[in-house]
Amino acid sequence: MTAYFIRRLLLMIPTFLGVTMIAFMITRFLPGGPLEQELMRFRMAQAESGGGGSSMTQAGGELPQEALDELKKAFDLDKPAPVAYKNWLTRMIFDLDMGNSYKTREKVWDAISARFPISIFFGLTGFVLAYGVSVPLGIAKAIRHSSRFDFISSALVFIGYSIPGWAMGALLLVFFASGQHLDWFPLGGFESNSYDDLPSIVKKWEDIDDVSDDFGSFDREKMSLVSKVVDRIQYSVLPVFCYMIGSFATLTVLMKNSLMDNVGQDYVRTAFAKGLSPRRVIFYHALRNSLIPIATGLGHALSVIMAGSYLIEKVFNIKGIGLLGFNAIVGYDYPLVMGILSINIMLMLFGNILSDFLYALIDPRVRFE
Amino acid sequence: MTTIETPQASPTTDAEKQALLSVRDLGVSFRTEGGEARAVDGVSFDLFPGEVLGIVGESGSGKSVTSLAIMRLIPDPPGKIVSGQIMYGGEDIVQKSYPDMRDVRGNKIAMIFQEPMTALNPVFTVGMQVMETILTHEKVSKSEARDRAVEMLEKVGIPEARKRLKDYPHQFSGGMRQRVMIALALVCHPNILIADEPTTALDVTTQAQILELMLDLKSQKEDSSIILITHDLAVVAETCQRVIVMYGGKIQEVGTVEQIFTDPKHPYTKGLLASLPSTSEAKQKRLYTIPGNVPALHEMPEGCKFCTRCSEVVDRCHSEEPPVHQLDSGQLVRCHLFEEEK
Repeated sequence: MTAYFIRRLLLMIPTFLGVTMIAFMITRFLPGGPLEQELMRFRMAQAESGGGGSSMTQAGGELPQEALDELKKAFDLDKPAPVAYKNWLTRMIFDLDMGNSYKTREKVWDAISARFPISIFFGLTGFVLAYGVSVPLGIAKAIRHSSRFDFISSALVFIGYSIPGWAMGALLLVFFASGQHLDWFPLGGFESNSYDDLPSIVKKWEDIDDVSDDFGSFDREKMSLVSKVVDRIQYSVLPVFCYMIGSFATLTVLMKNSLMDNVGQDYVRTAFAKGLSPRRVIFYHALRNSLIPIATGLGHALSVIMAGSYLIEKVFNIKGIGLLGFNAIVGYDYPLVMGILSINIMLMLFGNILSDFLYALIDPRVRFE
Repeated sequence: MTTIETPQASPTTDAEKQALLSVRDLGVSFRTEGGEARAVDGVSFDLFPGEVLGIVGESGSGKSVTSLAIMRLIPDPPGKIVSGQIMYGGEDIVQKSYPDMRDVRGNKIAMIFQEPMTALNPVFTVGMQVMETILTHEKVSKSEARDRAVEMLEKVGIPEARKRLKDYPHQFSGGMRQRVMIALALVCHPNILIADEPTTALDVTTQAQILELMLDLKSQKEDSSIILITHDLAVVAETCQRVIVMYGGKIQEVGTVEQIFTDPKHPYTKGLLASLPSTSEAKQKRLYTIPGNVPALHEMPEGCKFCTRCSEVVDRCHSEEPPVHQLDSGQLVRCHLFEEEK
């Protein structure tokens, strides 16, 4: 078993190399790369300074050879692709340096890690809520199979499943945040601009007058924490809901089917024949078995670090990983693309192994050779 | 026809002996898409202390449903006990409340099933599953329960039982698993063991060992009885004293093993026996089979359930359900042919 996991860990290396290598090569050979963009910028600058003078345009547009070489060097484009890949890889592994963003010159790691709080917040809340609601709901549906409760919740679950999160987000914003119908939630963003100055924002939000005056300086701190939480909840209800609805349906149905499957098993009849209470038979014997497929998904909880859907973030104007990655791709910001890709790959590979490990942990029949 | 010496020959020859379990007019229905299907209809029999009673029949004859009804394990919905009584210890099991029923299950009447591969919970240790029966029915400490479980597992022939407590079902072979099933069924010393095809899924040598084990354990507890449900007549011949032959949800014939095997009355029983391979007959002769198949429950004929396949069928069989005739020998037969013999 240990040997199996060591082998799995070692197998991560070629997988990681393969994925990053392919992605790296694509970035090298796609048109519109960093060099072209610099040239474009140079030409535009020249055209502007030329003021539309026709005599200049002919001479302009060409960068001096030395400058071009310098640029190539800066982007590692002067070396053959395999060498450049090797350089990128060694820098990342030994110096923990994933390079700088072409656009902002910011360190790639800094740009990504700055978004971690947002990703982890939404990823983890969505994850916990999805499991926290789906598992009990699935169990309740299995126990009351074919009841009215089962039908109604199934209908809701499938409606939720068939609406993409971002579309649901737009809908929710119109109804609950635009003020046209209701004005319960802010239109977007991750937190109030004045999040750090709370509770003044509470005044604005809920028209509470003189909060600080009434509570004095000591209470102000307390109040500030409470209002921070209130603020965070107000901003996150809608996006978290959108993040949840997709996995929510799958999980609920998986839980329900899994439990119903197990209740029909022979060992459940044996348990009843032993004289156990229905509660013990279902919630101990059958449930323990039916949680196996659910629990194995837990390994992917690792991915919450990089959670973020570009479309949902776009709808709610949240500056998260999804938005960062999307902008990196459309902007040919290759160091950033490679950085996000590398971290995602690592999380996925570790997540898979963690899932397998959990599987072996909870199901005694599973033995990896 | 009065050559029966076994005291348990039939209910009437031994009326003074108190039955351990009496089933009267038991009816079980299943709601299906084709309407209500009577899986068991008007079944009555007694189980006497110390006897091994065989219930034989083809698939769909109602033998398993009868045994599940005794445990009140008919899946509801779609199944339901629609009529009759099952008297045990002066009380009707059919009328028992759920908590009262729990006290019967595993404690007074225990059951083992056909598939030892799936009848044990795969994620719990064997020890836990045996101990659970004890802890459900008796107020004992965990360590006491553990000792009892070890003792029981040793009794059913599991080597190094104490060590194997921590093993999971998949670490046992089929035969060993069936031994574990027997252990967890018998650990609370029930009066009645219902064995629903306990050896069907096992290979022949293991079959013999399991049957022997069941009989051996029965002999260790006085007056305990076994209901053995099987389609295997060879198993019946080896283990049972009395046999009930079922077909189409009804009892067709009841008699002692000797009667059933040497002097079967019902055409169906005769057919079953004729279907057994024989060593004395010429090898090239094809094995006899009863023509046709068991009809689906909702396609059962009006009159005698067996009339569609019977070799001795007469006109009235199609329209008129034969009553149960008691013969001089004590045998019970549900067949029109025996009307005059009464």
